[in-house]
Amino acid sequence: MSDQNETARMPVNWDATLAFWLLRGWLGLRAIVTGLEKYAAIGKVMKPWVDPTTGQPDPNGAMIEATQKIYSLTNYAAIPQSLQDKFASEPLLPAALLKPFYIGLGPALILLGVMLWVGIGTRISLFAQGIIYIALTAGLILIKADDGVAWLAIHVALIAVALTLAKHNKLCILKKW
Amino acid sequence: MAPEFDFTRRNFLSTAVAAGAGLALTGNANAQTAAPKKTSPNGRIRYALIGAGAQGNVLLDALMKIEGIEIVAVCDIWKYARDRAQKGLKKAGIEVKVYEDFEDLLATEKDIQAAVVATPDFWHAPVSNACMKAGLNVYCEKMMSNTIAGARSMVQTMRETKKLLQIGHQRRSNPRYLFTLNHLLRELKLCGRLTCANAQWNRTVTLELGAAKSVQIKPDVLKRYGFDDMRQFRNWRWFKKYGGGPLSDLGAHQIDIFNWFFGVKPRAVTAAGGVDYYKDYEWYDNAMVIYEFALPEGVARAFYQVQTTTGAGGGYWEYFMGDQGSIKISENPSVTQIFRDNPPMENMPDWGPYVQKNYLAMKAAPAAAEEGAKVDVRESKKLEAYALPISFNKAIHQPHLENFFKAVRGEAKLNCPADEAFGSEVVIFKANEAIAARRTIEINPQDTEI
Repeated sequence: MSDQNETARMPVNWDATLAFWLLRGWLGLRAIVTGLEKYAAIGKVMKPWVDPTTGQPDPNGAMIEATQKIYSLTNYAAIPQSLQDKFASEPLLPAALLKPFYIGLGPALILLGVMLWVGIGTRISLFAQGIIYIALTAGLILIKADDGVAWLAIHVALIAVALTLAKHNKLCILKKW
Repeated sequence: MAPEFDFTRRNFLSTAVAAGAGLALTGNANAQTAAPKKTSPNGRIRYALIGAGAQGNVLLDALMKIEGIEIVAVCDIWKYARDRAQKGLKKAGIEVKVYEDFEDLLATEKDIQAAVVATPDFWHAPVSNACMKAGLNVYCEKMMSNTIAGARSMVQTMRETKKLLQIGHQRRSNPRYLFTLNHLLRELKLCGRLTCANAQWNRTVTLELGAAKSVQIKPDVLKRYGFDDMRQFRNWRWFKKYGGGPLSDLGAHQIDIFNWFFGVKPRAVTAAGGVDYYKDYEWYDNAMVIYEFALPEGVARAFYQVQTTTGAGGGYWEYFMGDQGSIKISENPSVTQIFRDNPPMENMPDWGPYVQKNYLAMKAAPAAAEEGAKVDVRESKKLEAYALPISFNKAIHQPHLENFFKAVRGEAKLNCPADEAFGSEVVIFKANEAIAARRTIEINPQDTEI
């Protein structure tokens, strides 16, 4: 008997369904926005200084530097360089794996988040997110970033709960996986 | 004093002699606002660069970035310099004619509206005067001349011909300096009562400039243009018949800022200096100058130092100090700093709103005092530091040149017309005079006004 059939015959448990939707929303949002942020950079732009008395731009061409957040593929950075440098000096983290991990991290988070929100491969998405957070945890343990370890542990716990509630999912494109 | 060599062939001395003889001058600075609007048929202002040496090239770089103007000729007595400029312009797709003699240029190029003059100082007056008499508006590098009489003749010609004459004190058009003066000092009175200022420009030891034999100017050509030899041509800034030495080369810009920001000319100058390091130069290789300004709120003194023997950590700046704050400003934004004092004053304004309105940028709050950090109990409490938030992404000379060409079009007033620059430059001549005399020299208002 397939899991799908079993789920279909279950009476609707709206408490569990709503609980899952909350986790689905939060974990999807967390993954998508985290992935998008890896393409963001704070850039500096010049704009005219505006005289507060007149409300007019300075006639002599005075400009002020303002910061602006810009999203671009060229801005992509999986994790901050300082963190990459620390991971690179850890003998237990093989350099051959770090580079592909960095390349794939941002796109993977966005893809997995979208999958979870849309409802395609919900369990696969949750499990893959869990693996990513565990991989990141390994690095943080090695560099003794205990705050980060605890922070990721909460993510993994939420994912685990979401997985146990996945059978109560409604409103998805593919119930399987 | 007239230049020592013979200008009579070209009749360039006439105005300088007239000015030196005390000819009464009339007119006022407002003549600089009545700008002619003559341009070429395509609306572009056609101009010539006269003097294509180091400073001429700096100006040319900035000129190339300005829209609506067109260089048509380059003049320099040194073939190497004019060919270099011509080749550089050709690479940028611009064809120019080159001239050795500026009088030939003026006789041939009838369709130009302006000249940018960057010759050695002693040629500024003859060249600028001839250009204005030929109907051109002129941007001339500072110093106006190597003599007060020469500078005076330029103002006289400007008034007689009603042409524009902008002097290259480029900070006068720098948006950061304009902002500091107009908003921080005048509008907010950020420093409170200004009590003193200092400025410095210290430069690392430099080697004498030379020229390969193959590119040297022939002695008869050098003689024709007033130079004794190639060495003096290449190092003219160090010799009294051509220029005013480091105090005028470097100090002119910064001493001009004292006058501009204080809004008055000094009433006295005390100075010391000498040729103490370099053996074969005439001008002082170091100088320390103190000006005394009678401001409406009281006396303020300004100290200026120029050293050509030490970089002293780098940087050059003008530093204005008052009882409520201090502003250290430089063309180099990284050097600029503003400090808020902690005087026991009831009306001391909070600078927080100034940061919110982008008059200032917060730089650093004072660190908490550490036990034993003070080496002397009389040391002032650490001050809040601020930055000037204003910047501009142009070449340093570009705004001043832009102001000149806007004035030629009748769209702006000159920021540094010759009659305004004259007063600033007189007080620099007076500093060299004070060094030579080894005493304080009084500066009368009539010395700096024209």
